[in-house]
Order: sequence, then C-alpha cells, then structure tokens
Amino acid sequence: MEPLLDVKASPMKCTSLSANAPIWQDILAQAVTGELLAAMNYSSLSEICDDPGEVADALEHAQGERGHAAAFAAEGRKIGVEVSNNVDAKHWKRLRDAFLRCIAGRDFIGCLIVQEIMLESFAVASYSRVGRVAPGSLGKTFARIAAEEEDHVDHAMSILRAERALDAQRFDDKVYQLHLDVMTTLAQMLAKECKDGHCEVCHASCVKPLLFDVSLSAAELRGASLQQYLKTLDMLGIPGEVTLLWVTQLPV
Amino acid sequence: MGDSVTRLARRGRTSEVDFALIGHQESWRAAAEVLAVLRGPQRRPLPDDEIKDILPWIPPRAVCRVNVGSIVGAKARGLYIDSFIPPDRLEAAYVHENIARVRGAAAYAINTGAKVVSLGGFSSILIEGNFDQLPERHDTAFTTGNTLTVAFIVQGIKKMCALEGRNLRRSTLLIVGATGDVGSGCAHCLAPVVKRVLLSARNVERLRKLRAELQAHGVQVEIATDRQRFSAEADLVICAASLASPSLLLGQIAPHALVCDAGYPKNLSPRAELLGATVFFGGLGQVTGGLTFAPDFHGILNRHPFPDVVHGCLLEGMALALEGRFEAFSQGRGCITQERVKEMETIAARHGIYLAPLYNADGPVEDGLPCRNGREDGWQGQAQGQGVGHAGNLRGIADPDTELRRLSPTGSC
Repeated sequence: MEPLLDVKASPMKCTSLSANAPIWQDILAQAVTGELLAAMNYSSLSEICDDPGEVADALEHAQGERGHAAAFAAEGRKIGVEVSNNVDAKHWKRLRDAFLRCIAGRDFIGCLIVQEIMLESFAVASYSRVGRVAPGSLGKTFARIAAEEEDHVDHAMSILRAERALDAQRFDDKVYQLHLDVMTTLAQMLAKECKDGHCEVCHASCVKPLLFDVSLSAAELRGASLQQYLKTLDMLGIPGEVTLLWVTQLPV
Repeated sequence: MGDSVTRLARRGRTSEVDFALIGHQESWRAAAEVLAVLRGPQRRPLPDDEIKDILPWIPPRAVCRVNVGSIVGAKARGLYIDSFIPPDRLEAAYVHENIARVRGAAAYAINTGAKVVSLGGFSSILIEGNFDQLPERHDTAFTTGNTLTVAFIVQGIKKMCALEGRNLRRSTLLIVGATGDVGSGCAHCLAPVVKRVLLSARNVERLRKLRAELQAHGVQVEIATDRQRFSAEADLVICAASLASPSLLLGQIAPHALVCDAGYPKNLSPRAELLGATVFFGGLGQVTGGLTFAPDFHGILNRHPFPDVVHGCLLEGMALALEGRFEAFSQGRGCITQERVKEMETIAARHGIYLAPLYNADGPVEDGLPCRNGREDGWQGQAQGQGVGHAGNLRGIADPDTELRRLSPTGSC
C-alpha cells in the first residue's frame, strides 16, 4: 500500500550489497524471526480450530510463513551472511505470549486480530519499504513476500468484518484490549531508538541508526507500519477518530 | 481512556453526521497541541522530532466531534476531519500529495454520511478549481465555505472603517490574491463602495478578466502582478493570497493603511514594513448558539482570543447544516457575488453566527472587548511564548519564526 507521503525514503536504490551486508543481515534476522513466529502462531491456531477447513488453512499459512523465513535466509546466504533468528528475543516473545493467551482462551477471533491485523500490518508495511530500496533479488523477495502477506490480511478481513457485524461494540473493545497489549510491544520495537537495551536479534549493536545507509529509517518503518495498521482498522469499520486515539497514545 | 474510547466508538456508530469540516494544522506547534490532547494529560507530550516523524503518516480521519447550536434552537452534529497535511508541506511542490490527502479526507467524510462538508484552509484552495477531483459524492455536498469567508472579510473592513472614522467611499482598496475565489469575491462586494480598486495576483489573464467584470459596473480598476506595486497607494488592503507561510512583504505601504490579513496560513510576513498601518485578521465568525467539541478541543482547534470563533469557510458548513440546506453553496472559483454573500450572511445570522470581534496578534482591535483570558489589553495567546509581532513598527503581525502564530486549524481562508 502506498504511503500518503513518503517522508524519508529515497527513491534511489542501495546498490552495494556487500558494503552493507551487516545491515541487511540484521534486517533479514528480524524478518526471519517474524516469519518463524508467525509460523508458530498459525500452528498453534490450527490446534484450536474446530472446522477442518480452518485447520487446513492455518497449517497452510504456517507452512507459507516457514517458506518466507527460508526465502529470507536464502537471501542472506546470497550476500554471504548467516541470518540468525530468535523467537525468544524479548519483544518477539511478548508478541508470542500475547498470541498464546488468545490460544489459551480458544479465542479464534483474537488470534486473527493479533496475527492478521497487528503483526501483518507491521510485516506488510515494513517489507514493502525494504522491497523498494533493497537491490536485486533481495528487494524482489521482500516485495513478493509483502504482497503474499497482504493476501493473508484480505482473507482474514472477511471473517473479522462478519464478526464485527454481529456486535460491533464487543468487537471494538476486544481489538482495543489486544491493541494495548500487542501494539504497545510493537511500538517499542519500532521506536526510533532501542532505549531499553539490545533487542536480542541484531547480531551486534542496534541496526536502527545504520538504516540510513540503505535508504531506510526506523521512523519510516514505524510510520508506514502504523499507517498500514490504521488503514486496516478503517477497513474493519472501526471509527477513525477512535483508532487515531489508540495510535497517538502508543509509546514512542 | 478505555471508557472514553468506548463512548466515542459507540457514538461513532449511532450518531448522524450533519456536517463535516476538513482542515489541517498551519504550524507544527498547532499539530503538537492537537496530538497532546489526543494523548491525554497523563501521557508525556510527544517530542517535536517524533511529531514531525509521525504526523505525515497519519491517514486523514476525524479528530473530534463538533456540535453546533443555533439561537433559534436548531442543532447540528458534525466532525472535524484533519487531512494531516504536514505544516511545512503546503508549497506547490506537494500539491499532488496534498490533493490526495484532501481526497482521502473527503472520502472519509462521505463514509461518515456527512450531508454537507466544508473545506478549510488549503483544502479549499487545492480543490476550488478542481471539484471533479473529489471522490464520487453520493449524498454529500461539498462547499469551499468561501462565501461566508468573504462575507466576514467585507463586514470586518466596513466595521474597522466605521471604528476608525474612515470614509469607505473615498478609499483605495488593494486586494492581494485578487483572482482567487476569496479575493475576487471581496472585489465584487467592495468595488461598488470604494473609490478605486487595485488588484494584485500572479495570473495576468485572470486579472484582466476580473478587471473587465468590475469595469463593466463602472468601477475604476488597475491591475498588477507585482505584489508591491500598489502598496503605497492603498489605504485599505485585503491579503487573500494562497501562501504556504506568512511571507507577504507589501513594500512601502501607506501610513495609516488598514490591512486585513485573511490568509490561512496568515499572509503577512513579520518582516513586512507596515509603518503605522493597522492589521487585523479577517474572515472569522463567532457562534453564539453554542459550540462543543468531543474530545474537548476548545482553544486548540479554534485558537482565538474570543470564545467560539471559527473561520468563515468552516462556519459556512455549520450554518448550512443548521439551516437544513445540505448543498454545495460555494463551488469553483469566481462565482461569489454580492447576492450570494448576502444570502449566506442571512443564513448565518439567522442561527447566531456573526462577525467575530476583530483582533490581531497583539490582541483585540476594538476597545473594551474582553478576551478569553479576561484581559482587555492585548492578548498574548495561550501557548508559552506566543509570538505577537511587537518588533519595531509592526502592528499586529504574528511571528512565524516561533511557530506560534495564531492557530486556527479548524480552517481558514
């Protein structure tokens, strides 16, 4: 999805992969970790689905996310870096725990909200931005996976819209409670600086200050992610004045 | 916070929306104050750098609900929708992005079911010649609101002349930005009652056309594309140019000239040398039948020294809603006539929407008027360090360098 205003991104592509390989390594590590976490989430989701079709869908999604992780890892190998992952890293673990609380409550709709509305908004927006500036197959892979993740969201939207139509107030309250939990963590992840210590995914020091070297910035990734999130909530039908309050009250 | 969100969400689904007001912030200070209200008092205000990073990514959406009452008992419910145009991106270079934002805000207004929508500030400037660029409109009427803006500018000029004992019929009127919708509307309304009219604008063809229209009524008219050419000759000046920031230098203006700054953002540069001139802000009206915001943005979205003051362009939408006339009263450019201005004035007045008390960055220009803060001797604004343009011989020009200009993000013209 196009941002309304491209505040930071340069249209110029980064042409030197090797010089910036450590930066791409960390970007890929975050992406692989996110994809593996998504795969775990879909696997968990399959365990609470009653409908065989839903079980199959969840398992298919899990497999797809593993494929994405593998594709990102392969891109790392192409540029000569080992792409690590850490689903137990502090922010990612909190996101996983939030999802598992929905699983524990056998809350299928809550699971979809966390994974498809919140985590996928982050993935779609940030992969799209990276896809624009990353050179060669690296950029193409990010762009392709962004498009595939967007398809997930479209699939989930119809289910969620139908659920909201049953009781909009209850649905919006549920989204808000999950927003407080999940989006607060994502906002901390997306902050311009990691003020509360190492994220436990970057291979050395924090990659955020270096993103300018590859025509990205932490502020841009955060802005694009929150914009995607707001637009997704709009598509669900939640009043924009309400979601504006939600987002402006997130930590920075 | 959860409760208020829940209340808002519930209202969002059950209330009808009579009108919507589309606007944007004219300074980062104004944007910061809006975001601070949204974050609530218990949260630390966002640092300036974070605001500049975040705001451009916010899609157009409602910021608050606006309820307006009439002195004859009518009520109308509306929304203020911010297009979130970054205050430092009003220049022509960003016109396509900004039109996209206005379109987004217009689509949002349509989705809410608003029956009439006023386009404030650059929203109307961007669209006034391009109404076909708005989304398919269904049952929603869009008005630039410029007719009521013109009405309040003209009323303000007449009132100031009366206050200062000036004879309008002996005056030479200069209109800067004369070929815009507001500028040409002012020309049509005031040309018959002044001695001579000087028109300044960038587009010479449009200037010639306007001159011909006025001359057909026997008015003495001269035109120039040089903004400063006529400055020394005018004793009344209306500044209605579409400027991204207060950058207008009028040159050597006549001593004791009366200058109405009707721009949003304000037109006049604080470096303008207006020796002895009196400046006042034009195009503002006041609601006397009640105006509420939810969340409470009083003094933030209508930041004026007097209560319930709003730019005319936005008041036009409210007046039409109170009247039950959900129509595109002001559209296009150059269509504002004396008759239409009179009609809109009548509608507004019927509901208690009148010319606002006149003021400038130094405070009220009418003696004896109490400000919002209760003082009579020049208001200093509510924001810390409000720039009031006292430098040298400047009278009443806000200082944009501090970004603390008079804030009226609910609109403009």
